[in-house]
Amino acid sequence: MGRFVLRRLLQAVPTVFGILVLTFILTRLSPSDPLDFLIGGVSDMTPEQREALRETLGLNQPLPLQFVDWLGHAIRLDFGKSYFYQRPAAQLIFERIPNSLQLSLAALVLSLVVGVPLGVLAALKRGGKVDHAIRLFSVLGHAIPAFWFGLLVVLIAGVQFRVLPIGSMNTLGREGDLIDRLWHLVGPVLTLALAGIANYPRYLRTEVLEILGQDYVRTARSKGLREPMVIVGHVVKNALLPIVTLLGGLLTLFISGAVVIEQVFTWPGLGRLLFEATLQKDYPVVQASVLAASGLLVLSYILRDIAYAWVDPRIRFR
Amino acid sequence: MAGSAAALDPAAVTVVPRRIQAGFWSDALWRVRHDPTTIAAMVTLGVLVLVAVSADLLADQVFHVGYQQQDLFNQYRKPSLDEPAWWFGSDQLGRSVFVRLLYGGRVSMFIGTAGAAVAVLIGLSVGLTAGYFRGWWDDVVVWLVSTIDGVPRLFLLLTIGFYFRLGPVELTLFLGGLTWLGVANITRGQTFSLREREFVVAARSIGASPVRVMLRHIAPNVLPLIVVVAMIDVAMIILTESALSYLGFGVQPPVPSWGNMLSGASQHLSRGPWLVYAPGVAITLTVLCLYVIGDGLRDALDPRLRGQR
Repeated sequence: MGRFVLRRLLQAVPTVFGILVLTFILTRLSPSDPLDFLIGGVSDMTPEQREALRETLGLNQPLPLQFVDWLGHAIRLDFGKSYFYQRPAAQLIFERIPNSLQLSLAALVLSLVVGVPLGVLAALKRGGKVDHAIRLFSVLGHAIPAFWFGLLVVLIAGVQFRVLPIGSMNTLGREGDLIDRLWHLVGPVLTLALAGIANYPRYLRTEVLEILGQDYVRTARSKGLREPMVIVGHVVKNALLPIVTLLGGLLTLFISGAVVIEQVFTWPGLGRLLFEATLQKDYPVVQASVLAASGLLVLSYILRDIAYAWVDPRIRFR
Repeated sequence: MAGSAAALDPAAVTVVPRRIQAGFWSDALWRVRHDPTTIAAMVTLGVLVLVAVSADLLADQVFHVGYQQQDLFNQYRKPSLDEPAWWFGSDQLGRSVFVRLLYGGRVSMFIGTAGAAVAVLIGLSVGLTAGYFRGWWDDVVVWLVSTIDGVPRLFLLLTIGFYFRLGPVELTLFLGGLTWLGVANITRGQTFSLREREFVVAARSIGASPVRVMLRHIAPNVLPLIVVVAMIDVAMIILTESALSYLGFGVQPPVPSWGNMLSGASQHLSRGPWLVYAPGVAITLTVLCLYVIGDGLRDALDPRLRGQR
């Protein structure tokens, strides 16, 4: 297992390097002068001053050299100070990551808790009304744009019926209150989890149907095991194995989707930080938040693979 | 797989004996024609596309207003059946929601289709060459795919929107340029196994060039799967474009798109709640049709999946 983890970590190195290259190249491919990003909004400069600054910042050097220089800073998580907040960008990022994680992890738990039973139910009631209803819901859940669903939640539950808060993480003056936080989580988590809830039944249904035809299920039944025990102990347990691979796709969805959902519910996470930074032309924060989100994603891919190898020993020796 | 695959499939023979002699594509067509759900989705999508394409004509002849035409005496008009232009109400500037929906649909559908075309083109060429030649090029492709996969899509697009000013064409290219991974992965995997098959080896042995082998012998066998993935890619791009436009980084006003109409609607939730419904329903319906058609085509095109329902 240790070897597998090590190998998987090594595999991530080129990916991380590629992401760093991509992030750097985007700044230099941009039609705007990179100097404008770096000085952030200072406009009253003579051309001589600009050239002098270009020299000091190393922007007149060849691109590979610039990249190495930039990489040195990026690896030390030094992205410079936010122009807007006047604080190190890395610090802002680390403040926002827990907020985003709360959202994604809660959405993940919700999609498992609701999605898995739905999938098993659909397979057991194969061809019946319940199966069709779950199928319809599953397709619909994929087709509805998450941010629109979020807007509907805000509009109907927040504005018209006033049963849910319409945004942010806490009611003013109730920061740190767990009940209040949970209350504010309902809307965004439900919205984010919708795609996940729609996702699981599709895969789980096929999986469960396949397992129901296996010999060991017949054996379990013929030795007199009661049906609920067969389903839970033999069928569901084995069906859950490949579901672990789905986690990766869901985390992509949750981390990427967070940009819009956090915007709809004004949730102060990583996505909202990036969104605000693009509006404020806050170059250091833009870079830092993209890299942070990518880091989270790559990390979650690694964790998924390790989890998969852990539950299914065959993977380790591939 | 191609040619008489259907005839070799025992399930197909027992279920529909009179299709024994059919070719692959005509058999697929026959299957689609006998799948009411897929047909319903195709008809619905066809109507949506037709209506969106004829936006100019409809706006002129039926609604008598353009998508930019403001009417400050008719702001926040509730949906009503009095006049065609107010069927879906009006927005904060008194513009007809219905007409804007038509034009928005034209923009969204164009970006979705053109973006998917770009994605298929890139994905097919990258996947074919990587799977056929392997070696260093394949390593590069795998690295590229894992890199682009490692950056959350919307984060990347938002950053791109920060560095570049995106017009509709650039937007299409970027969306397509980030969506080819799926097509490339499938094509690459299929090419890996197909290149060792007898008919490919035979073609090579009589001196067919790599380009000919890839295009004439491998590509046609991958195509059925690609058609399905392309359908889903169109849907994905429409969804991504709407999210991006909602955030203000996609299609820029005054040109309407379903996404930026929702962006406007979200600022007027209490005065014009109906503004939220129509664009969202339009996106959902379009994407739903595409997914259902994609599903139906997969059942029709992939002999291995037949009879699993």
